[in-house]
Amino acid sequence: MTSPSPQQSSLLLPDAPKRRRLLEFLGAASIIATYVVLVLTQPADIAAGPGSLAALAAMGGFLLGAVLLVVAVLPTLPTSTVVLIPIAMVLNIVLGQFVGSTLVPFYLDAIGTVLVAVLAGPAAGAATGALSSLVWSLFNPTVLPFAAGAALIGWLAGVAARAGVFRRFYLVPFAGFLAGILGGVVSAPIAAFVFGGTSGLATGAIVSAFRAMGDSLLAAITKQALISDPADKAIVFTVAALLVYALPRRTSFQFPFVRRHRVLAGKGAADGAPAPKA
Amino acid sequence: MSSGRLSLERLNPLTTLTAAAAVAVITTAAGNRLFSAAVFAGLLLLAARQARAASILGSSAAILLPFWTALLLMHGLFFPEGRVVLLEFGPAAVTREGLLFALDAGLRTGVFVLAFLLFSFTVRVPELVAVLSARGMPPRLGFAAASALTLLPAAGERLRRIRAAQEARGLVVGRSLPSRLLAARLQAVPLVLSLVHESGERAQALDARGFSAPGPRSALLAVRDSFRQRTARLLLIASAVAAVAGRVVFALTGGPQ
Repeated sequence: MTSPSPQQSSLLLPDAPKRRRLLEFLGAASIIATYVVLVLTQPADIAAGPGSLAALAAMGGFLLGAVLLVVAVLPTLPTSTVVLIPIAMVLNIVLGQFVGSTLVPFYLDAIGTVLVAVLAGPAAGAATGALSSLVWSLFNPTVLPFAAGAALIGWLAGVAARAGVFRRFYLVPFAGFLAGILGGVVSAPIAAFVFGGTSGLATGAIVSAFRAMGDSLLAAITKQALISDPADKAIVFTVAALLVYALPRRTSFQFPFVRRHRVLAGKGAADGAPAPKA
Repeated sequence: MSSGRLSLERLNPLTTLTAAAAVAVITTAAGNRLFSAAVFAGLLLLAARQARAASILGSSAAILLPFWTALLLMHGLFFPEGRVVLLEFGPAAVTREGLLFALDAGLRTGVFVLAFLLFSFTVRVPELVAVLSARGMPPRLGFAAASALTLLPAAGERLRRIRAAQEARGLVVGRSLPSRLLAARLQAVPLVLSLVHESGERAQALDARGFSAPGPRSALLAVRDSFRQRTARLLLIASAVAAVAGRVVFALTGGPQ
């Protein structure tokens, strides 16, 4: 099952790892810088209309960061992980489309991303999150600017898996809750500045309630995100964990990341041959 | 509905992608209601002339109508920054500024959605993958994207078959939450299991065919391009950059942001 050639260094491009590190750094820097710039320079008065510069910065900075991360990470992943990414994207889209059309203030659009992150690590999770948004945008372009937030959720899920959170089921919803707080805070400026609000009726109602109390648009959407996202991600992490637990050990332990970091409880291949770097 | 003269399917995928991105960027940078409305109307006309007009317009409506409704309720009724109150009932107040904000944001998002759906409904995915790989994007990116697009309908069909099989084994989906959760579990687990299992086999097959091998790939698909399209792409990029630069200069000299 396991693919034997996870990372083959190119003889033609001896500086490829360095270049990838640089791209990874630039991608992360672009996302962080965009967030800081947006929060610091948010238009004080939105009565004149939605700000153009904030929208351009949010759209460009987050998207550039997500694309750079994908380009940097994808060539380093083993084939067994690369073929898992489209499956995660399909699960995200099928479940996300369904929930997005209901009157529930949740999204559940990251189950596949978290599944890959648990099986293949933070880098694979981040690439899956960003790529999933890029492909999903072919059907629904409004998810395109949220690619950076999706990448962050994938990365955090992978970090939680590496830390052993998925070995104890009761810790999983808490990890999802914390990831949801960070993801919500990053995604709120996109909803506020690019789209002028949230796209769902249920989430829109929550934003309206905070606006009625006199909050600014960014504050209202951030508070809505802090209500919806942590609960959403707690559910997503729990569902993804249940799916991973339901996989036969033969399947889940074929992934080097699971063996190397003892992601799942019980005896695994960690005591076997050294696993390739994931 | 279809007219061969305005069909975007004949263009190079990079040309339609550049055009969609440039239209979204220029409209956002312009930040002008009338301009956004004119561009939106133009995109609607262009969409109506495509062979897949019904799909493009149907998908746009499915995305935009709930979004516009949410915007209208959000800003039309609650807009603390509003000064000219048109109507007031309880804590809600319909303000002129709130309605105009909803209109501006709605038009801008409408242009964004329609421009990119025009691209995605007229692009041939294998051609897009070929041109992106030829321009230095990792070949794995093309594989992941194209593979997801072909897996989507296949996964839907497999889910239908799993449901039929489970129903044949006595699954009855009741109205209660536990019953629905159990039904979801009985369908989701076999689906995920079979997809993950197949991915393992696919990885071996791909590796045997040099998927992870370094070096350049030979493209077997020739994508049409022309001098006129290359020039158009350069002009579109230059226009988008000029629009952003103009907006930055305008903001620095004291105009609205």
